[in-house]
Amino acid sequence: MKKFNLENIPKTTSGFIVPDNYFEDFSKKVLSQFPDETNRVIPLYKQKSKLLMAVAAILVIGLFIPIFNQLSKPAEELDLTTLENHLSYQTNINQYDLISELDEDDLNKMGATIQLKDEIIEEHLSINSDLERLLSE
Amino acid sequence: MQEEKEFIQELLDPKTQNEAFQKLLHTYQRPLYHHIRNIVLNHDDTDDVLQNTFIKVFQNLKNFKGESKLFSWMYRIATNESLTFIKQKAKKNNTSTEEINAKIIDNLQSDVFFDGNEIQIKLQKAIALLPTKQQLVFKMKYFEELKYEEIATILDTSVGALKASYHHAVKKIEAYVTSN
Repeated sequence: MKKFNLENIPKTTSGFIVPDNYFEDFSKKVLSQFPDETNRVIPLYKQKSKLLMAVAAILVIGLFIPIFNQLSKPAEELDLTTLENHLSYQTNINQYDLISELDEDDLNKMGATIQLKDEIIEEHLSINSDLERLLSE
Repeated sequence: MQEEKEFIQELLDPKTQNEAFQKLLHTYQRPLYHHIRNIVLNHDDTDDVLQNTFIKVFQNLKNFKGESKLFSWMYRIATNESLTFIKQKAKKNNTSTEEINAKIIDNLQSDVFFDGNEIQIKLQKAIALLPTKQQLVFKMKYFEELKYEEIATILDTSVGALKASYHHAVKKIEAYVTSN
């Protein structure tokens, strides 16, 4: 029997053939299975996370708006009524503290603006039980 | 290599992905078809495996580190997909992969997508009797005409071991054809 030798025969193919137009159709078939970037559907969980992030951002901004407003307002000057009320309810400051703060100029100014009649002074002195001490001061 | 890196970037970039993938298909669908067909033997099965191969390539491109060439990486995926396919088919039919292949080879003459002569049928029958690795090496070297270096990177083995496998495969095939 003659020994078969692969090198002695013409190079042969596998014998397998491909249907006509198979590769053209195959390309189309495979490409149709891949997502088209223009029509890509965003998964719901991704949309949800974006929504949650947006809500969180709105809440943070909402919380900070009053603080920013407060900080951006210029300090208002205190009106006299507010100051008087504050001093009246401030228990650490008494009448004597206030008197001790007055100097000669303040007293003169007060004398110019407050016109006291003699009858009123007399009446006040007559009902004040601590007259002697006031006179001695 | 730089060109290949740029091509991989094009495949990963959503803007250029579609065009780059068409190019990838155009370049590799024919050689990969024949590579898979030589393993699974049947056209319809080859069609399924080839589709799975490209889908896997697309899905895993972001993990491709470029340590090997894109060519050998794709061939490796195609080889693994083909071997897994035959194993699953054998399991489904409650038989062995050897029996599945033998059955296909026996029916080659009635396969409309086989156009081989008597020698080609004998060659296929002889190959089917080889161990899996020798089958792969012989088909890749003889039918697909890949270089030993290319086969070595695809099958992750040494050129020396491949040459030895091919030599053994040729001797067994010659012995089979001589006696049949």
